[in-house]
Amino acid sequence: MKLAVPMKVETGPSVVRRTSVREIAIKIVSEYSFVLSFILLVIIAATVNHNFFSWANISNIFVQSCVIGLIALGMSMVISAGQIDISVGSQVAFIGGFGVLVLNATGSVMAMLLFTAGTGILLGLINGLLVTKGGMPSIIATLAMMGAARSIINHFGSGGPFTVDRAYYDTFRQIASGGVNVFGLSIPYFMIIFIVATVVFDVVMKHTRLGKHIYAVGSNEVSARLSGVNVDVVKATTFVITGLMCGIAALLYASRTTAVAASSAATMFELDAIAAVAIGGTAMTGGRGKIFGTFLGVLMFKIISNILTAADVSTFLTGAFSSAIIVIAVLLQNFQNRKR
Amino acid sequence: MKDIVVDFGPVRAVDHVSIAIEPGEIVGLLGENGAGKSTLMNVLAGAITPTHGEVVIDGSPKTLSNAKVAGRLGIRFIHQELNLCNDLKVFENMFLGEELRRPTRLLDTATMITRCREALGRMRADIDPEAVVGTLQAAEKQLVECAKALLFESELIIMDEPSTALTNEETAELFETMRALKKDGVSFIYISHKMPELFEICERYYVLRDGALVAEGAFADVNENSITELMIGRQLAHDVFDDHTDHTKSEVLVKAEKLSGAGFEDVNFELHAGEVIAITGLQGSGRDQLADALFGALPFSGTLTVKGRRVRSGSNVRSFMRRGVAMVPRMRKERGIHNDLSILDNHNMAYTNARSRTPWVSRPAALRRYERQRKALSIKANNPADPITSLSGGNQQKIIIGKWLEAKADVLLLDNPTQGIDVGTKFEIYHLILDLARREKAIVVFSAEPPEIRKVADICLVMFKGRVNAVLERDQITERNLLFYSTGANLRGN
Repeated sequence: MKLAVPMKVETGPSVVRRTSVREIAIKIVSEYSFVLSFILLVIIAATVNHNFFSWANISNIFVQSCVIGLIALGMSMVISAGQIDISVGSQVAFIGGFGVLVLNATGSVMAMLLFTAGTGILLGLINGLLVTKGGMPSIIATLAMMGAARSIINHFGSGGPFTVDRAYYDTFRQIASGGVNVFGLSIPYFMIIFIVATVVFDVVMKHTRLGKHIYAVGSNEVSARLSGVNVDVVKATTFVITGLMCGIAALLYASRTTAVAASSAATMFELDAIAAVAIGGTAMTGGRGKIFGTFLGVLMFKIISNILTAADVSTFLTGAFSSAIIVIAVLLQNFQNRKR
Repeated sequence: MKDIVVDFGPVRAVDHVSIAIEPGEIVGLLGENGAGKSTLMNVLAGAITPTHGEVVIDGSPKTLSNAKVAGRLGIRFIHQELNLCNDLKVFENMFLGEELRRPTRLLDTATMITRCREALGRMRADIDPEAVVGTLQAAEKQLVECAKALLFESELIIMDEPSTALTNEETAELFETMRALKKDGVSFIYISHKMPELFEICERYYVLRDGALVAEGAFADVNENSITELMIGRQLAHDVFDDHTDHTKSEVLVKAEKLSGAGFEDVNFELHAGEVIAITGLQGSGRDQLADALFGALPFSGTLTVKGRRVRSGSNVRSFMRRGVAMVPRMRKERGIHNDLSILDNHNMAYTNARSRTPWVSRPAALRRYERQRKALSIKANNPADPITSLSGGNQQKIIIGKWLEAKADVLLLDNPTQGIDVGTKFEIYHLILDLARREKAIVVFSAEPPEIRKVADICLVMFKGRVNAVLERDQITERNLLFYSTGANLRGN
């Protein structure tokens, strides 16, 4: 076949060739920068705190991370689909408050779990329907949910705490304080829950149709629709799953604090969860992200706040630090994208 | 305009073109897509600085550094795409960037509304200046766009396909306004693909081809046929596609009867296994909407049968996919690929939706499918985990075609499949289309490029204003015929 126009000389990635060490290094820096920052942070923390690598400290970090961690995993899904959920803190307070009432009434942790999980799914479904069927931007739909859930729980609790009855106090508290003994190491339940949840989310996002579709919707809704993806179902599912995670997190939160204060429980959790997702390298515009990144992001977040506590920084300032983390992480992402 | 040259990098878009326009004259500018019409007009409107040449207005050379300068000199450009902000009101749009202000620097809303109403009144357009533009019909928006040019004193108004969304009556009103302005000494450059309109409103013509001025003269001395030939130029050299074999089998895979929807009406055709149907038409002919409707992405009325079973409007894309219908969308970047995802994930998207029965996605199986298509379609790619954006446009398109082949599609809708693809790969795609036809796939190619249609199509439906204006058999598919029927030249005087 003779062509009048010279064939384009193929250059760049279309030619099969070996990847150089330099390229691999660049790839690691750009795609796994969260691992590098995690290692850096651990080094800093270890120099500040000489007990950093003690099992007590490590397991404690996991225990402190678990509640935010579960929420952040859901948030990763929502953000990967190009959405946002700022109602998670209020959802935890709402579900946790009523969950304590259910526990006090029935005395059964299982009944409480059914209630918190079910309510979480319901709140998530409302968010999802407002966004898909209602055609609302997710920040508006979940802003409304944030206000409504907090206000209702405040009304029923008159702003005060929902306290676990003395009768169930000790058994219920076991969830947060207890653990499994393996070769003399006490592994807290919270640590197991967080790690198992991370593995489940990682598998879902990497190896299931739902996971692939979430990234597809977050990357390009039109293409996704033209490839047969039911965009509305995918978006709504991410909110439902986040609601479910808030439900489970609410139970764990109640177990840890044994009292859910209507007006102050889980405040600013949305900020912390989004910050963890951001430092984990998930694109805030959707389409790209790693569950393992979020996992490390949550841990980094706790390590930073522990360093701050050790340095006697006022707890009132944690919000400022979380916000700074979000801004820096997203600026770095933008900087990386511009280089590509 | 004297001796204008515009280079975009190594590409010469406009090649030593000189045109002259007298006061009070309406001139038609003709040429195929990509002939350089818009580029030349953008020079005149101050949007592009020419590499060479000058613009002389009223005897003195002028530097048109931006659109504002051009506007001050009385040159107005009515763009082909509607450049309106949907959320603003009509008068706010018309005065955007040139708002009238009171001495206090506050907006003089009352005067703006009055002047806007006058301008619309001259067009006899019944549009409320305070209506929000988003609530207007496409035709009304086009009228607003035109009225914008009347707001300010103009000497030359450039209209780039102003009538695409207008009905015949509205076009007549537009012409009426143009004639009235012409009496006041206003000149027009009128760009259109619609022959009947050009012959009605314009006195003289300029024809551009491949960036060069190839003909000029008076419309009175030519007819539709000769001007169409001027636009195409010499018959293109025969190529390997000329010994065309028709692979059409008797089995009907898709049957459309009285198909209508937003933008198209009463479309009928039968698509057989092994057949390649091309559907062509100008921008706004309903071609795009028909393509989306055939894939279930837009609602339609009428009967659409796929493999003997009727598919209903409103059933989703996935049910079309399950019947074996595939779509390679136009505007690949915006509608075809997922920028953030890997080559493998992009390639696997259709299979998981149409065929897979489990919620799990197996990477080894996905890799096997990808490797099969990579070899079959000779896709040049390094690592399937690389982002899809690392591939050239042609290879991206092959990934999309491959993903449908893995989804076992046997009806392929290819919507403008060679958009933004270099010539060499274009030919590969044409051979691929013919090869697929040989393997008894049924194919619909939506295209606006006559050479492309000639290479692949067994039959061509030519659309004009939402209807099928002509059905051309293989030996009737010529560039002349395609242009003739897609511009509605056969309907003149009817």
